[in-house]
Amino acid sequence: MNAEATLWLTFVLLGLATTLPRASFIVLGGRVRLPSVVQRALRYAPAAALAAIVVPDVLVVGGDFAPLNPKLAGVVAAVAAALLSRNPWLPFIAGMAVLLGLRALAGG
Amino acid sequence: MPSSSFRAGAREGFRSFLPMSVGLIPWALVTGMAMISTGFTPVQAMGMNVIVFAGTAQLGTLPLIGIGAPLWLIAVTALALNLRFIIFSAAIAQGFRGVGAPLRWYSGHLLTDGVFACCFEKMLTVDDPRWRLGYYLAPSLWSWLLWQVFALIGVFAAGSIPKHWSLEFMATIALLVLLVPLARQRPMLVAALSSGATAILLRGMPLRLGLIVAIVVGILAGFAAEHWHTKVEAA
Repeated sequence: MNAEATLWLTFVLLGLATTLPRASFIVLGGRVRLPSVVQRALRYAPAAALAAIVVPDVLVVGGDFAPLNPKLAGVVAAVAAALLSRNPWLPFIAGMAVLLGLRALAGG
Repeated sequence: MPSSSFRAGAREGFRSFLPMSVGLIPWALVTGMAMISTGFTPVQAMGMNVIVFAGTAQLGTLPLIGIGAPLWLIAVTALALNLRFIIFSAAIAQGFRGVGAPLRWYSGHLLTDGVFACCFEKMLTVDDPRWRLGYYLAPSLWSWLLWQVFALIGVFAAGSIPKHWSLEFMATIALLVLLVPLARQRPMLVAALSSGATAILLRGMPLRLGLIVAIVVGILAGFAAEHWHTKVEAA
């Protein structure tokens, strides 16, 4: 299969992996109930998945654990902005400004 | 022609959702730009945006698509990011009593965090199914429209921004901003930290299998922390 076809297949799979959980109980109606243990465990899945993607993305540089890098400083600024302000744009502005500023200072 | 109670519901749903819908705009812009910086053409990017219609799942899987990870791993990661929708779907299901199967599927496809948070209480208390359907579909279709339009603007804006600006970092920030309010709860923070640490430790595993192990470890750690937390409070 060529790259273009694989990409579109990926989109279709992602669409299914989104619409099936969303439609699940709306389509089934009141006929099926989820056990409460499962419901409580499922609540942790999004946070776990987000962290598993983001943490290595920020702290690993070229395959090595290298926590002290400009990305971490950018992340700290973005998280601080998200905690301190309700402005939805500020985390992006703060994070990008710190990342690009540090890179410019390092002569990048 | 939609009935008058459908239109009354639609008006009320739209009015209550409109203020918070502004929050979708930066997400859609960032997602549009992130898809281009992953290497998609504008047609591929908008294809993904229409077929998937889920910011978290799109942003979360772009890094995996970018490195050519196997399809099943990409799908399982998206599923993990979307598991919360099973809970939302179960919570709002009663609001669709009296609505036919095709419209239930379509409503399910359109279910988003924002519309769920805004609409689910009234969906469960109002009796008229046509009113409920209007009340749900109006904000959902408005979200869909905003999502597509601003992603498209992001797609074209990305092309005119130089590569060394590292736009892909915007996707990282977007995922973090989603994580921050979740991590305010202690067990949720434990889940995130355990999962993140495991992902770092297992980064050498083939096929990025470490990602799946990390998600499972995170869920278990969060669940364990919740039990421990309630025990301490009960004591």
